Amino acid sequence: MMSRQTSFQLSSLMADQLESLRDRILTAMIRVVGRKGYDATAVADVIEEAGTSRTTFYKHFEDKHDCFLAAYDAMVERVFATVVAECEGEQPWLPRVRKGLATLVEIFSREPELARTALVEVAAAGAEARQRHWDAVARLTAYLDAGRKLDSGADLPEHISTMAVGAVSGLIFDELVAGRTSQLPDLMPDLLFAMLVPYIGPTAAAEEMRRAA
Amino acid sequence: MVARSQRERLLDAAFDVVAEKGYGATTIADLTREAGISRTTFYEMFEDKEACFLAAYDSAVDVFVRRIAAAFEAEEGWPQRVRAGLRVLLESLAKEPRFARLALVDVGSAGPAAQRRYRAGLQRMTPFFDEGRDFAPDGRRLPANVSRMAIGAVVGLVSDEIEAGRADLLPDLLPDVLFATLVPYLGPAAAAKEVGRG
Repeated sequence: MMSRQTSFQLSSLMADQLESLRDRILTAMIRVVGRKGYDATAVADVIEEAGTSRTTFYKHFEDKHDCFLAAYDAMVERVFATVVAECEGEQPWLPRVRKGLATLVEIFSREPELARTALVEVAAAGAEARQRHWDAVARLTAYLDAGRKLDSGADLPEHISTMAVGAVSGLIFDELVAGRTSQLPDLMPDLLFAMLVPYIGPTAAAEEMRRAA
Repeated sequence: MVARSQRERLLDAAFDVVAEKGYGATTIADLTREAGISRTTFYEMFEDKEACFLAAYDSAVDVFVRRIAAAFEAEEGWPQRVRAGLRVLLESLAKEPRFARLALVDVGSAGPAAQRRYRAGLQRMTPFFDEGRDFAPDGRRLPANVSRMAIGAVVGLVSDEIEAGRADLLPDLLPDVLFATLVPYLGPAAAAKEVGRG
């Protein structure tokens, strides 16, 4: 009885360790791709960064691409969960958008490699990876879409949140490509304007921008 | 004359091959074969694959910007000018879905220089948007980045369609793309009204 319980605990401990090895590989993949670019990243780089063996890598993943997709999924879940957790207390739409955007910008500026992988390098990782990127954008978009309920007196187009997210990602993308990721928080007022303006118009959005500065 | 046509053939080939195989898998041998030129000729014109691809990209962007500018200049009044320019943009992309994919989706896979070139290419649209600042009632209070935002919104909508394999339907997107361009300058009510003026 005693020994059975011990062995159960042991195997569950080993399962935890295996899981954490897998997580370490996923984290390493995001970092290395952000640093070296997707094409230049080799499995060898990833296992070195993760401090694991090639055997462990191939126990969990078929190849670099398979691992990248899993890493991308895990990253999206983590980023999304962080944003949602930060926004939960913020009921009205506008403060929720402000908080959500600030959280995203903070994650990106604190983890520049993650930011590059998430927005820039994903383009190099093939159609499936890009689909994941678009799905993540669509999820964020849906989360913000409550803004449509605001009464702006206009018949707003169906794709208005795609526009808002497109404007915001364009600004962020430019900063990443120019290597100014750490300065992203300075861009927060502009990002807020870009996100809000299709819903509330330039005068109100400029007011929010002034307040965020 | 011959040198020029060899260069043009090579730029065309670069587009064809990269669109077909992807940037990473494309070799200089693919490019010289497709263009019907020798390896020596290639290296007389370009240092490497990247330089060749970037030149092909720039020349394609040139053609697009000139077409848009012509449509834009032919109209009076900023919203009408923008509408005409965007219509040409969407129709051209729909007619050349291969260029559309490469220019807006696959370019991201061609390395950091191409990514910067991609953003720089988009910024060449800035003059068409910047007129909106004079047209807007409160233009001076708009953020310095407002044209980049409008461009980003347009690119977001267009890339979404291309990625979904609906490049041929891009012209249907004109009302949304026009709204996205006008809204940071004019606000949702006025932008919707302009769009409705068809």
